[in-house]
Amino acid sequence: PICARDGTNCLMTTGELFDRAVGLSHYIHTLSAEMFKDFDEQFAPSRRFPKSVMRCHTALLNTPEDKEQAQKIQHEHLLNLVMRVLRSWNDPLLHMVSEVQGIREAPDTILLKAVQVEEQTKQLLEGMEQIIGRIHPGDVENELDSLWSGPPISNSADENSRLFEFYNLLHCLRRDSHKIDNYLNLLKCRLFHDNNC
Amino acid sequence: DQIKCRSYEKETFSCWWTPWTDDVLPTNYSLFYRKETDENAYECPDYRTSGPNSCFFDKKYTSIWIYYFIYIKATNALGTNVSEDYPMDVQNIVQTHPPINITLTVDKDKPNLLINWLPPQTADVKSGWVTLQYELEIKSEKDHDWDPNSRHIRGVHKQLFLKLVGLMPGDTYVVRVRCKPDNGPLWSEWSDEMYITMPGNVPTIQKDFT
Repeated sequence: PICARDGTNCLMTTGELFDRAVGLSHYIHTLSAEMFKDFDEQFAPSRRFPKSVMRCHTALLNTPEDKEQAQKIQHEHLLNLVMRVLRSWNDPLLHMVSEVQGIREAPDTILLKAVQVEEQTKQLLEGMEQIIGRIHPGDVENELDSLWSGPPISNSADENSRLFEFYNLLHCLRRDSHKIDNYLNLLKCRLFHDNNC
Repeated sequence: DQIKCRSYEKETFSCWWTPWTDDVLPTNYSLFYRKETDENAYECPDYRTSGPNSCFFDKKYTSIWIYYFIYIKATNALGTNVSEDYPMDVQNIVQTHPPINITLTVDKDKPNLLINWLPPQTADVKSGWVTLQYELEIKSEKDHDWDPNSRHIRGVHKQLFLKLVGLMPGDTYVVRVRCKPDNGPLWSEWSDEMYITMPGNVPTIQKDFT
């Protein structure tokens, strides 16, 4: 940290802020992967959810799908993509926290982790806004991405459809949190370690 | 499981299948795949690089965060049989090679041991594309196998060294290390085992207690 002469008003360096963001994104992905695993073990064997029809609301975002694409993209664009993915999860996470409470056999651990992911994602978003504010002062956009058009099925739908919809959301969260973690690690090494992590 | 896939570095991947007919008749196996973002099915691009009953997908054919639906066709004189779809996302099959260059350095006059290693060369750690965490095991040579109760597992997270203190003078120790992507489920195989004998004499127990 950078502090005033008397050791007060310490300010984290941008590199330290970024390290914290990477730690947060790693934690969010770990929780997301655990939630998916818990739910998959509980419901998938008996329900056989069709993976071929699973779709993520963030699929419309043109995110890099391999190392070469990710390394070619400029860091401003990659940061902007990370922000758009993060923002697009604002409403789905709120829905996830409320929806899991209505799923009878859902393990308790899933609700606890869903609440944590929702909180930590907000924190990560705030942290990233601080970082971008420092790196590219003019670039901080605030509007929420409306990529998610709400739960695709009504509350009166049959149980199997609602379970599949939740499974699909958990799958997308695991995938997108892994993407964000991956992109932030790339950016950290590029911006603060001269690609020599 | 008839089909198993693995990526060593999140840039390419391979799949292997187990022939399932009893092969009384000569049977030809071929691998096909569809990607989540594409209705079409494609045949394996390379049946050779990863050995028998395998398919190798190089960088051009590898996308992360996308489901592949992989299936096998077995064809012989009786006809063709098609396996179930095997859904796979490269994100979940990354299993790197083990760490390399494990070196053991003894403190001159203390029973302490410094252990260093490097990430596997195939994983691009420098750019941040792969971030690894490590785990280390050490046991006394007297303990013949890596019995879970006798060995000491140290979650070392991301650092590339570990210092162990207070080992037994004169004793011989065996050390091995493994790694996994810190955002992935699969540990690598263990590294080669490294041996070291601590300097000094094995303390003798006094015969009489008078």
